[in-house]
Amino acid sequence: MSTWINLSLLRKLVQISAFIFFVYGGLITGYYLEDKISGALPALSCAYDFQGSDLCTLIPIQHQMDHRLGEVIAKGGNLMMGIMPTLITLGTFLIFFVVLNKAFCGWICPVGTFQEVMQLIGQKLGLQRHESLPKKWVFRLRPVKWFMLLVLVFGLPLLTGIGMLNHDMGDPFCRICPSRILTTLATGETSQLTVDTANTTTLVFSVLGDFLFGLIIALALTVRQPFCRICPMLALHAVFRKLGFLRLIKNATPRCDRCGLCAKACPMDIHEIHTDMQSRNVTFEDCTLCGRCVEFCPDKDVLQLKYTFIPVFSSSPQYFKQRKKSQTQWERKNLISWFKQFRSKTEAKVQ
Amino acid sequence: MQRQRLRSFIAICLLPLSAVAASTDGSEKKPIEQPAHDHRGAKQITLENGEGATITLWKPDLSTQTLNLEHGGITIPKTGLDNYHAVVAEKDWGNHKEAVIRYEYMFGRPSKQSPSKLTAVEKTDFEIVPDPIPREHYRYHSLQTWGFLVRLHGKPLSNLELILQTTHGSQQTVISDQYGRVEFQIPDDFPNLVAGERDKRSAQFTISSRYREGDIAYQTQLNADYRINPTHWQSTQLGLWVVGIGILAGGYLGRTKKIKEKRT
Ligand code: SF4
Ligand code: SF4
Repeated sequence: MSTWINLSLLRKLVQISAFIFFVYGGLITGYYLEDKISGALPALSCAYDFQGSDLCTLIPIQHQMDHRLGEVIAKGGNLMMGIMPTLITLGTFLIFFVVLNKAFCGWICPVGTFQEVMQLIGQKLGLQRHESLPKKWVFRLRPVKWFMLLVLVFGLPLLTGIGMLNHDMGDPFCRICPSRILTTLATGETSQLTVDTANTTTLVFSVLGDFLFGLIIALALTVRQPFCRICPMLALHAVFRKLGFLRLIKNATPRCDRCGLCAKACPMDIHEIHTDMQSRNVTFEDCTLCGRCVEFCPDKDVLQLKYTFIPVFSSSPQYFKQRKKSQTQWERKNLISWFKQFRSKTEAKVQ
Repeated sequence: MQRQRLRSFIAICLLPLSAVAASTDGSEKKPIEQPAHDHRGAKQITLENGEGATITLWKPDLSTQTLNLEHGGITIPKTGLDNYHAVVAEKDWGNHKEAVIRYEYMFGRPSKQSPSKLTAVEKTDFEIVPDPIPREHYRYHSLQTWGFLVRLHGKPLSNLELILQTTHGSQQTVISDQYGRVEFQIPDDFPNLVAGERDKRSAQFTISSRYREGDIAYQTQLNADYRINPTHWQSTQLGLWVVGIGILAGGYLGRTKKIKEKRT
């Protein structure tokens, strides 16, 4: 294996292609919602991006809570009729989700890709890259994604539909979603990066959304995947993760000496990958199936990405050696090291 | 005789009922708020000077239904299908044919049809077609530029004059290009706008054109609603400032972490 050809590189190529396809692919798939691929993609491909080729599950769910289920509850209609559209959306989501499982995050999502690009820029600028968040913070942040899913995607839109909140609370997650600003900006559209003074609700949500977007840009330079940690899509994936064909499997044989290299490599700081010696399916709720832990596990076949029962990528000492070497070389190349080299060269010349 | 008829016919116009209510009560500022596309039932529109017109409803699946004019109004029945529908009113005087089209969004179960099918199909001999029609759940706004196609028997007509007129009195004239396409910037002509305040008023625009083929004179109109552009109460400049503050906060948080990390 060449030093530079590895799973991470393959993933980057897939991510860039997916970014181009989902942000600009509407030029191929079409402009109207009916032309979109699924209408319920398990990744944050934004409906506000008119050039996009699909839209994420979270927008129809919010609309259905507001306009269907909420209205049915308010008017005392047939509850089944109110739930049906959401069941259809979740069914469509599942058809796609089972194929790739949480890899929709690690390989497809435009927001995930954007954060990795920012991380790459941060690393190349020589800004110190934090290998991991402190454990305390990782555990504190984990419930936030459930709050985002239950409150912003289901709860508030439902209360809006019932008539307890004003109409502008019908799609609260979309109002703060970084994908809305990111993907529209990527197509040259600034209409989603605004402060909306229509009323207090729109003002608060637009300021929150813009602030969060700025925060993610800066944090992603130093912290890996800052938004993913609180993303409601990650929570939705977590609910159905046992159904996906692609899984992260751990063969906790004595070969695993709990070195912790896998957890250190994990962009989501899932410490349990190295401490858990019981579970076989270690596709934890925060896992994005990026496969980095498998790449950085030095023990043969201890970690594997399996598609149903077929291993598609397994840890091995040889791969680990090469991968570690290429990673060290890659990380060494940054602006500060180039600057230091340049300075020592010029100093040597002067002497 | 012919002339009189023609004159009366030029005024044929399809309007949503809300627009009629707004224009008759004389109040320009904030008419009764009509959340667009909010009901799943039938819709009513008025057809001015529509006596004797053939009225056809085109559904998203391209099936058609004949509608009747009653007391100057048309009821678009509940079709059960979500998506754009087209109401086409036609008058045929033999050597003079006129048509007016309006696209209405109706709610229902997913139609699984792209609106591009509805705009692509030939609904009348001489027609002006949105290219594209605003995506589902979106609408025309002032200051936005939108494209339209002009077609005769389904074929684009180049070098033809198209006129856009709004109920607020603005007018623009554009000549179609070699593909029969024109672009109009919808005028920002709502009176009494208050900067920074959301305004949900809507008005109508009409795009019309005439064409003569042999001894037949054609005349066509496309009617649609437009709303006030949200940029009147949404500021990108402020948005950029808030993003900047977010970046500074993120930079600070990242930096604090770095210092703490170095200490440990
Ligand atoms: S968790 Fe990250 S990668 Fe997954 S959908 Fe959310 S933003 Fe995208
Ligand atoms: S557990 Fe492994 S596959 Fe999952 S996100 Fe972490 S490194 Fe990627």
